[in-house]
Amino acid sequence: MAEMRGRPVSASQRPTGGDKAVMTQKKQYFRRKKICRFCVDKIDDVNYKDVKLLSSFVSDRGKITPRRISGVCAVHQRRLSDAVKQARNIALLPFAAEI
Amino acid sequence: MRIYEELFIVKPDAPEEEIDAFIEQIKQVIVDGGGSVDKIDKWGLRKLAYRLSKHSDGYFILMQFSTGPDAVLEVERRLRVSDLVLKFLTVRIDEKLKWLEKRKKIREKRARRKPAPVHATGTGAAPGEPVAEAPGERTE
Repeated sequence: MAEMRGRPVSASQRPTGGDKAVMTQKKQYFRRKKICRFCVDKIDDVNYKDVKLLSSFVSDRGKITPRRISGVCAVHQRRLSDAVKQARNIALLPFAAEI
Repeated sequence: MRIYEELFIVKPDAPEEEIDAFIEQIKQVIVDGGGSVDKIDKWGLRKLAYRLSKHSDGYFILMQFSTGPDAVLEVERRLRVSDLVLKFLTVRIDEKLKWLEKRKKIREKRARRKPAPVHATGTGAAPGEPVAEAPGERTE
């Protein structure tokens, strides 16, 4: 990850993450309007079997992308992470992928 | 009767008849336990995400069956003991299926009530609607 300049160290200023404004040394963080893909597309069933859907929420190293980056809501992030873990167990997704 | 879903991986170099015979065995175990097999789906050869017992592909088989709790233990035991099977995963899905049905019905009911398209953006899409939105629905 590149060096984040202008990012204050204090914990009181929580970074919202995924903000391109951070790179431009702005002290002010504004929350980009995040939409949960599952809520918008009304996907009810987050299944461990659809690897295509799951792999879009997994990094190139095979790690689950955090909510603040992917914009997923809490409920769906929990289901998503359960599905990814199940898929990993049955060798549909890797535990750790080489880039 | 609980509905289970079983996904297991068989060695890729196993002959077709052996795999079929094995599936028949499992079916027999389920039927003996008083259950029924709903569907069997053979995905065929797929590349595995990581090496399993020195194999890089596997033959995936998906089974859905409804049975009591004891028969599942027997099925899992057979899978564990068998030489053909590399990995298996059993998921209980009856509650999930019920919930999905309920969600589908709620969506259909809502779609029928509103004549406007479902993906209407902005507020006031249906101003005459006295019924409050369900808490699970996100307003944009």
